Amino acid sequence: MPTPPESILELDHLSVSFPVTAGVFLRRVGEVRAVDDVSFTIGRGETLGLVGESGCGKTTVGRAILNILKATAYGVEISGKILYHAAGGTVDLAPLGRRAMRPYRTDLQMVFQDPYASLNPRQSVTQIVAEPLAIHSKLSKREQAERVEWLLQKVGLSAEQANRYPHEFSGGQRQRIGIARALATNPKLVVADEPVSALDVSVQAQVINLLQDLQDEFGLSYLFISHDLSVVRHISKRVAVMYLGHIVEMGDGDTLYQRPLHPYTRALLASAPRPTPTARRTRHAPLAGDIPSPMAKPSGCPFRTRCPIARPACAEALPPLTVRDGRLVACPYSE
Amino acid sequence: MTSSESIFRKRIRKFTRLKRGYWSFLLIFGAYFISFFLPLIANSKALVVKYDGHYFFPISGAYHAATEFGVNAIGEADYREIDRAFETEGRGNWVLMPLIPYGPNEPLLDATGSPPNPPSRAHPMGTDDRGRDVLVRLAYGFNISMTFALLVTVIGEGFGIAIGALLGYFGGKLDILGQRGIEIWSSLPFLYTIIIISSVIVPVYLPGQYQLFQPSFWLLVVVLAVFDWMGITYYVRGEFYREKVKDYVAAAMASGVSDTGIVFKHILPNALTPVVSFAPFVIVGNIGSLVALDFLGFGLPAPTPSWGELIGQGMSNLTKWWLVVFPNGVFFLTLLLVVFIGEAVREAFDPREYSRLR
Repeated sequence: MPTPPESILELDHLSVSFPVTAGVFLRRVGEVRAVDDVSFTIGRGETLGLVGESGCGKTTVGRAILNILKATAYGVEISGKILYHAAGGTVDLAPLGRRAMRPYRTDLQMVFQDPYASLNPRQSVTQIVAEPLAIHSKLSKREQAERVEWLLQKVGLSAEQANRYPHEFSGGQRQRIGIARALATNPKLVVADEPVSALDVSVQAQVINLLQDLQDEFGLSYLFISHDLSVVRHISKRVAVMYLGHIVEMGDGDTLYQRPLHPYTRALLASAPRPTPTARRTRHAPLAGDIPSPMAKPSGCPFRTRCPIARPACAEALPPLTVRDGRLVACPYSE
Repeated sequence: MTSSESIFRKRIRKFTRLKRGYWSFLLIFGAYFISFFLPLIANSKALVVKYDGHYFFPISGAYHAATEFGVNAIGEADYREIDRAFETEGRGNWVLMPLIPYGPNEPLLDATGSPPNPPSRAHPMGTDDRGRDVLVRLAYGFNISMTFALLVTVIGEGFGIAIGALLGYFGGKLDILGQRGIEIWSSLPFLYTIIIISSVIVPVYLPGQYQLFQPSFWLLVVVLAVFDWMGITYYVRGEFYREKVKDYVAAAMASGVSDTGIVFKHILPNALTPVVSFAPFVIVGNIGSLVALDFLGFGLPAPTPSWGELIGQGMSNLTKWWLVVFPNGVFFLTLLLVVFIGEAVREAFDPREYSRLR
């Protein structure tokens, strides 16, 4: 896998586990490894697509990068490194507390999946978009308002809409407000967590194009999380496929789409809806069964319970990610 | 929609459209506002006295002996008496009395017959068993009941919101232990505790002072508030649990908003719906609590004009109908109007656009 010349973010064996508690005194009876030993890099100005079905840990990866897991999830454990290559040097974000994290908040921002839940219904658009500015910049109220207007125009809204409230906007417009908020502090890396999944197809294209335009204009890097392969293919050159907390295949998008190696990637591609009914159908049948509970993961390869080419050896050890055919893949048996 | 409007403004607009609740609101709080000027409306002290070219303002609380106005009597001047005397003299001296020239704690023993006296022109609701005007006492009692209920509600709910927010936001072991603590506290018998407290601490009454400055009043407010905050914690805690996982909170965290900022600016405004919808009913409950305590004799010390005490008099003088009908009627009417307000508030906070209330 060709490593991009200059990377902005590097995940080094990142694992995130949530405790499972029981009883009156919240005894710890187990844990859910939502992210298990994930490593990847994102280059400057690059978009890395992160694909997988729901519950596979994509969102947790994004939230771990922004360091907002500790505050929301009680007793979460994070191991590994999240190396952020800031202008002044490299820093590991994983162990940082809230105060220590603050200086990096301007560089890392997030666009959320649900445009209805991601905007505080009590705040006007100006208040929403100006909030990061009020915290991190020394701009006066007036300058903040000016920047909000400028940002709104950048994302395709009009300045007159600045004093409205979220409930007065459509889903696509709300997502644009969310993007404006993420851009407010001139970030370097934006984690886009399923930013178009909740939108109509026609609006999806607009928002995707907007994200690409903004990337070109501001030199942004994206971690683009989605379950929709066609969307990811459109926006990102490099793609990582996740299953049950593990990355099973990662590499150049075109290579991956044309010749998927991991059986899970194949199944994902086979189940994706096709825009042209006459297009060639692959031989692979859609996957049988459900995704196993992350509390009781299968031994060895996590995918073996649903894998069409599983063999007894798969239960013994987790197959490592190895370079094969120009990408990283965690399956030694597929052709 | 042409103009922009926050959710709160929208709800207020909806509330004003619900006529029954809105009018109840205006009536109750209008009456409550007026009741603060009761010393100017119902008082035994004159507003203005003109005597021998000089003006006196006894209403300000200044003490004037009867002899100052040329009346041969011991102690403070009886302004109703002086009013009558000046009129018969016709020397240009006059007294301007309040609209109702009787104080709340003033025994009117000069009336014919022994108290309680039935309603008459001078006393439209009669007098109680110590000859005090029932109408005046009910009016003063309204101010005290409302002030008391509002204070208990604000203090109790405020504390409950803070605890509920703390448990809901931080969760985990704090939440588990806090909840068990609240359950233990909730199971303390409220009435027994009040009885014990009031038998240990002797209530102090400072004559002539406004109720709000009485230590016994504040003692009772605090005691009731201490037993009144638990209910709302459950709702606020639940709201916080629901709201804190929403993406707008995650967005605020990703922007570096502090915990206090997230709690107060982001979650709390979205978690107040149950608090506001319950508030009128909590007020009803607190008015009821004060009346009940006064009725049992564990409330505000005598001779505070209180509804519970008057209802108690009605209980022991069942044949004196005006002591039964008027205090109970006023009590009932007040609670009814506040319930109407509560009903309309609940309806205004209902996201459904059309309402069965009008």
